[in-house]
Amino acid sequence: MSNHADLIVIGAGPGGYACAFRAADLGRKVVIVDPRATLGGVCLNEGCIPSKALLHAAQIIREAHEMADWGIAFSSPSIDLDALRDRKDSVVGTLTSGLTGLAKRRKVQTIRGTASFTDVKTLDIDGESWTFDQAVIAVGSAPVTLPGWPEDKRIWDSTAALELREVPQDLAIVGGGIIGLEMATVYSALGANVTIVELADQIAPGADAEAVQILHAALEAQGVTIHTTTKVIAVKATQKSIILNCEGGLEAKLTAGAVIQSVGRRSNGPKVAPEKAGVEIDGRGIIPVDASGRTNVDNIFAIGDVTGNPMLAHRATHQGHVAAEAACGHAAALETSLIPSVAYTNPELAWVGLTAAEAKAKDVAHKTSSFPWAASGRNLASGGGDGLTKLVYCPDTHRILGATLIGSNAGELLAECTLAIEMGATLEDVAMSIHAHPTVSETIAFAAERALGTLTDL
Amino acid sequence: MSDVIAAPSIRALAREKGIDLEKLARDLGRTTIAREDLSGGGTAPVQNSHTTYWDVDHAQYGPVTEEPLSRFAQVAAGNLAAANAMIPQVTHHDRADVSAIEALRRELKPEAQARNVKLTALAFQVKALARALREFPRFNSSLTPDGKTLILKDFVHIGIAVDTAHGLMVPVIRDADLKGLWQIGSEITDLATRAQARKVGPDEMGGASMSISNLGGIGGTAFSPIVNPPEVAILGLTRTEVTPVWDGEAFQPVPMVPLDLSYDHRVINGAEAARFVTYLAGLLGDPRRMMI
Repeated sequence: MSNHADLIVIGAGPGGYACAFRAADLGRKVVIVDPRATLGGVCLNEGCIPSKALLHAAQIIREAHEMADWGIAFSSPSIDLDALRDRKDSVVGTLTSGLTGLAKRRKVQTIRGTASFTDVKTLDIDGESWTFDQAVIAVGSAPVTLPGWPEDKRIWDSTAALELREVPQDLAIVGGGIIGLEMATVYSALGANVTIVELADQIAPGADAEAVQILHAALEAQGVTIHTTTKVIAVKATQKSIILNCEGGLEAKLTAGAVIQSVGRRSNGPKVAPEKAGVEIDGRGIIPVDASGRTNVDNIFAIGDVTGNPMLAHRATHQGHVAAEAACGHAAALETSLIPSVAYTNPELAWVGLTAAEAKAKDVAHKTSSFPWAASGRNLASGGGDGLTKLVYCPDTHRILGATLIGSNAGELLAECTLAIEMGATLEDVAMSIHAHPTVSETIAFAAERALGTLTDL
Repeated sequence: MSDVIAAPSIRALAREKGIDLEKLARDLGRTTIAREDLSGGGTAPVQNSHTTYWDVDHAQYGPVTEEPLSRFAQVAAGNLAAANAMIPQVTHHDRADVSAIEALRRELKPEAQARNVKLTALAFQVKALARALREFPRFNSSLTPDGKTLILKDFVHIGIAVDTAHGLMVPVIRDADLKGLWQIGSEITDLATRAQARKVGPDEMGGASMSISNLGGIGGTAFSPIVNPPEVAILGLTRTEVTPVWDGEAFQPVPMVPLDLSYDHRVINGAEAARFVTYLAGLLGDPRRMMI
């Protein structure tokens, strides 16, 4: 028996497959191992992609309803949950089978199984021993389960929520971060009365407070109830419902037909027994790596969620490419702290770089300039609601340090800001780049012009 | 976020070449690093311009030899090119009657010899300029790098451009407004002599209120000196010439020194420059006024 891998990637999420494919393109013989039947990990199978399919459906339901104000009235939609689920699954299926094709074309060997280290040069994959020259740990993360909660089929994590088992009449969501907010957006459009309970003093903690205010108001207008600075102190499952005992901002009992736990994700690092290979891992399951993704053990790399926050697919993908190149002897490193964040809510909330609060906390000289979407012709003409584009910049050099956008398609518009910050662009650079009219992208140039005092659109 | 501005592709290239961007930026005195800065793995030479005017094979037209520019000359060339390109400068021309100064110099010659001091016309010109700068403080100023603030100086230091074998040097006479002619005269001689031997310390250059470029000993009727930043003006002098001057009844032979004042038009306007030079010419024409 001689199972040997030149380079083995453990985990086939967006980090793992990007790493495997890049290494294969650089001429390596690559093996990728994952317990799932399909490639793509959480992102494709039960995360980013299926949630976006459902969010698209939610948006259409909402927009159809809003068209009444335009004199176009649709009757209430009849929702076939099974068909919707099938559609979502078919989107996922299309993408995962596409990945299988990409792997085949690169002659990447895929193994279905669960791997864990036995020493610095060997792995156990479902009882079989594999030797390897280099390994990349890319096993991602799993939703955090709150301690002391009962076992109950009506208590969901994000994976279960995306399975779209049913639409409860009352849905409680514990955790008002990006995942919780997206689930609120989906289930409220599908007809559930959604209540969000968040421990911090705002939903989307870490995002710009002014933008979050707009999102907060929009969600409430959509029928979502939000309780911030609120803690769930006890949970009881009765035959009829789940009862959450809350304290803080809300001092009451919440009764719901189902509850989604979305309080964060925890690294799956410990599951591969990295300590057996001598790989360092901390108490939270995070594996420390250098800028090339190399762990303390020279031939073992780690990428994605197992390397800590922010646990986002696009960060993992870039880390995957870097680790593949570094493993092949290239001088590669992830040399940026600019990881965009997007909540695909309605409206979307997107930000990158420093927020004003972060700049203040880090004592970075900064100013902000914003442009309200209420003054954007394209936004109004397209039926967009309240929105805001806000830039954080250095008052001396005018270099842009951060951007927050809230409004329809904010996530798409954010890319310009990310590029601007990466390139070291100034307010002038953005203001003088001609933005097509009428587009919502103009709001970014307008915010820059407003800071420069050259704006004529306000 | 790093304080060095470099596009992601530039950062990747630097990593590939093993170049420390932070260090390179410090070495180049810059905050922005471009692809060109990474060529050769070290500091890139500063190009004079992006033209090809100088890219000519001169040997095809006749015999040539090459003389490499000294480091000193290269720095000076870069500074002059930058000053000429960046400062909107205007030169104002006038002349001053130096009969009184010439008479005084003749009168003081025995005392000068006894003191072993060369009381040159330049000493008087330095003294007069120092006085004029006190009268017109705007000429004794510098702009801040962002061009938004004018820094007015409450001291008067006069730079003297000295032509040396290894290039142009500008040693400075400190507090020229507080010093007497004997001292100014002896300092000029001392600094000029040491400049020739390249023995002027860095602390004896820089910080001037204004500089004088004196070509009087060589010749010329006028020229346009280039302002020496961060100063806002420079005074050029050429050879004193006996000129017929109409005194109302007849032409009189009067020794006149040409004055050429180049100034930074961002700070000084033409009328101010004319007033300044008229005042200066008045002091030179009647040196007693310097005491008033």
